[in-house]
Amino acid sequence: MKVSFNELESLSRKAFIGMGFSDGQAVDAADMLCWMESLGFEGLKALSDALAQYSLEHPHAPAERLYQDTDVTVLDAHNASVLACSHLPLELTFAKARARGLSILKIRRCRQRQLIMGYLARLANRGMNITAFWRNSQQPLTEQVVGFRANSSVPSIRIYAVSEVPEETQENTGISIVMANHVDLLPTMRSDYEYNLLAKHDEAELLDARSQSGSRGITVDDALWATLNQFAKLTLVESTGNSRLGAGPAD
Amino acid sequence: MTLEIGQVPSPVLRPPATVMDLQRLGALSSTRLSFSRSLIRKMGRQRWQIVRAKFDLDELGYGEAIYRIQTPYARYHVVIFAKALADSERSDRVIAEAWDLTFGLVEGDVEASLMASLAENVPLQEAGRQHPQLLVISRANRSVRNFSACVDSLSAGQQPAIELLKTAGYLYRTTAVYGNGKFGIADYRQLKENPDFRHPFSAQMCAVYVLRQFSIDQVEHIAQCRSDRATTLIDPVRRYVGIGNSTGLGMAPFLINHPLLINQWVHMRETALSLAKQQIPNEISQHELIVLVTRVLQSMKNLAVEDAEQASRNQEVTEQLELVRIWLQQVAAEDDLWLQLTDWAEAALSLETQELINALLIELYPDQVDFLEDAMSVEEAFDLVPDMPLVQLRQLIETHFDWALNERFNTEDGQYWFWYRSVEKEEPRLGIRHVDKGVEKELALAIGPRIQHTHQSINDYLDESPTSLTIDYLMAQPREVDIIRRIQTMASSAYGEIRANLWHRDMKPMHLLRAKLSFLGASRFDPRGDRWVRVTFFQGAPLLSELNAEPTDLSAFDDWSFPVCPEQPNTSIPQP
Repeated sequence: MKVSFNELESLSRKAFIGMGFSDGQAVDAADMLCWMESLGFEGLKALSDALAQYSLEHPHAPAERLYQDTDVTVLDAHNASVLACSHLPLELTFAKARARGLSILKIRRCRQRQLIMGYLARLANRGMNITAFWRNSQQPLTEQVVGFRANSSVPSIRIYAVSEVPEETQENTGISIVMANHVDLLPTMRSDYEYNLLAKHDEAELLDARSQSGSRGITVDDALWATLNQFAKLTLVESTGNSRLGAGPAD
Repeated sequence: MTLEIGQVPSPVLRPPATVMDLQRLGALSSTRLSFSRSLIRKMGRQRWQIVRAKFDLDELGYGEAIYRIQTPYARYHVVIFAKALADSERSDRVIAEAWDLTFGLVEGDVEASLMASLAENVPLQEAGRQHPQLLVISRANRSVRNFSACVDSLSAGQQPAIELLKTAGYLYRTTAVYGNGKFGIADYRQLKENPDFRHPFSAQMCAVYVLRQFSIDQVEHIAQCRSDRATTLIDPVRRYVGIGNSTGLGMAPFLINHPLLINQWVHMRETALSLAKQQIPNEISQHELIVLVTRVLQSMKNLAVEDAEQASRNQEVTEQLELVRIWLQQVAAEDDLWLQLTDWAEAALSLETQELINALLIELYPDQVDFLEDAMSVEEAFDLVPDMPLVQLRQLIETHFDWALNERFNTEDGQYWFWYRSVEKEEPRLGIRHVDKGVEKELALAIGPRIQHTHQSINDYLDESPTSLTIDYLMAQPREVDIIRRIQTMASSAYGEIRANLWHRDMKPMHLLRAKLSFLGASRFDPRGDRWVRVTFFQGAPLLSELNAEPTDLSAFDDWSFPVCPEQPNTSIPQP
């Protein structure tokens, strides 16, 4: 089915609240999702994955702080989606970069990491240079680097497969983020090791994509929409004859 | 004498404690900056052409109609579906599922396949999947009494009894006018670069304006089908027909959830008022105000509202405005005449009279204030300032949100109501705390108690960590991120927050509704209890025939508010 951006933003925000997110967390999560869709990325696919992994009975706990000093923060998200665990740690990193020039955030064990770009875009708009790095899959091993210039709302993105890497057995579902006040952190590919560039998106291309997107609605899977509606309904109050009077007699 | 461009002093604006008081907001009048007024001026100035492209109605007025709108930049269509509706099904509530007519404003042409999609979905409103070429969808119910009486009179070759239009100045009233992506229609962001509809709510206003013409065309059509003797409305009566609107609590969350936009609207209105008050009056402008006041008095005497309290307030306004008129006729045009008037009003006259006088002063100075209509939009971004020292955040709260800190939210009356959305079409409702179910799903519309709670929580945190930053506090209290973002953002926006306890037993949601409706351009406020109001749009506005005539004199497009009821035509008018 086709939906508008406003519908997607509104329903997903209500659904996140129904899932137990705070109002602010829900607004940010919906914003991250819509940002992805506005650039034609697969935000809805990531959302679908996030919903499949979510349990109302066992909602996400806040990310656990493993280490923090004035420049570096390391968190363990315990496999929560970045929709649920990233916005305040990113704000913390932003504040540290403002104070120290550069700061680093590592979130271990988090999911749907590509959605974090939506929040990074907001921070970049506030004058911060940002780069984010994560590994996507093991076979072939692919890496993604996303760089935002300060005051730009779209990133430069590189996705590439690597082969010449030391064997690693530990699952890597973490994401590393660097923020810098004054230094451009856009990705430029340069390596002595072999890699295969799979995707390359630059700012101009993404700006163009955004201006073209959504003019005739966003295509959403019916089942996903129904799931969002189910969660959103958890925010609504059952109606009774008495409660109808709560809107006042109109007729 | 007027101030020259470049000599306009920085306007001195009224303090937010005065302006954002809920009761005062509930006394606002529409001004020349209201969106319906801006739209009509623009239509005339740009010579928009609006013609009936299809009018396929049966003898009872049921069927389809299309009106084509041609602007200098683009073409649009208003598509209308009228159908039979049993009286028992006619309801203005959001939870209604059928209406006398449904309609939508379409961007571009209406091809056959699009028309088929519209015919299938627009009549369903919320239950349909609407087409993204639609900019607006809405529905309307007949004023049964006016509609029937009008058809009966026209069928008999007579003009309708004007008295009817004094009690309800319309043939149809809309019950919700949806824009911005609702149910699949186009997002507002698509309109931001649209030269025709980039002003807030201008697309909605345009659709409603065209519906007014349909309401006239439809009664005349039915009358002509019914009788060979039938006549049409004369233009003065047509002009006195507006479009009604019935608004309930559904509008209230908008004012709370868009504080930056509300700030912008109020700021522009206050700027206009200040600019007007700074103009040096002369005998001409003094006379213009007397003429305006006289017209308003006549217009209000024509007004018959059903609500007893509103009728009483209108009576009070009329009596006080009569005193103002006499005063204006007696006093000299001294340089500070407008200040004398507003000072007197603030000291001695009712809130409604004060705000009406303010609206009339703004009316006098189009050259000084009309540019403000281009500044009614704003990007609504709430960004956190995570590195703000927490003591500074506390200071911001104490400086700018003292109204919230001074409230008592822990009394029975102080926390009486809670706001929630019902599972029935998500209709916003009020429940009684500790009595009604659903408090755990309360909507966070009452900003005051949240600010007070956050202030106390910050105080406690600072006792332990006096040098901490906002983000340190938020890492400990993550659920407060939205209210802190709001505090940081709104501290520099004087007019965004409505200064009232929206939990309080004595709180009147009606005031919220009137505030927004006044910016849209509504008139004839006729409350139905505390939670619903009926109003009228476009009463007195020029007709499509006047617009299509491309007049060089655009005064009728500029000055049509507070219309005076035409004399009762007492002769039948021959069919042209």
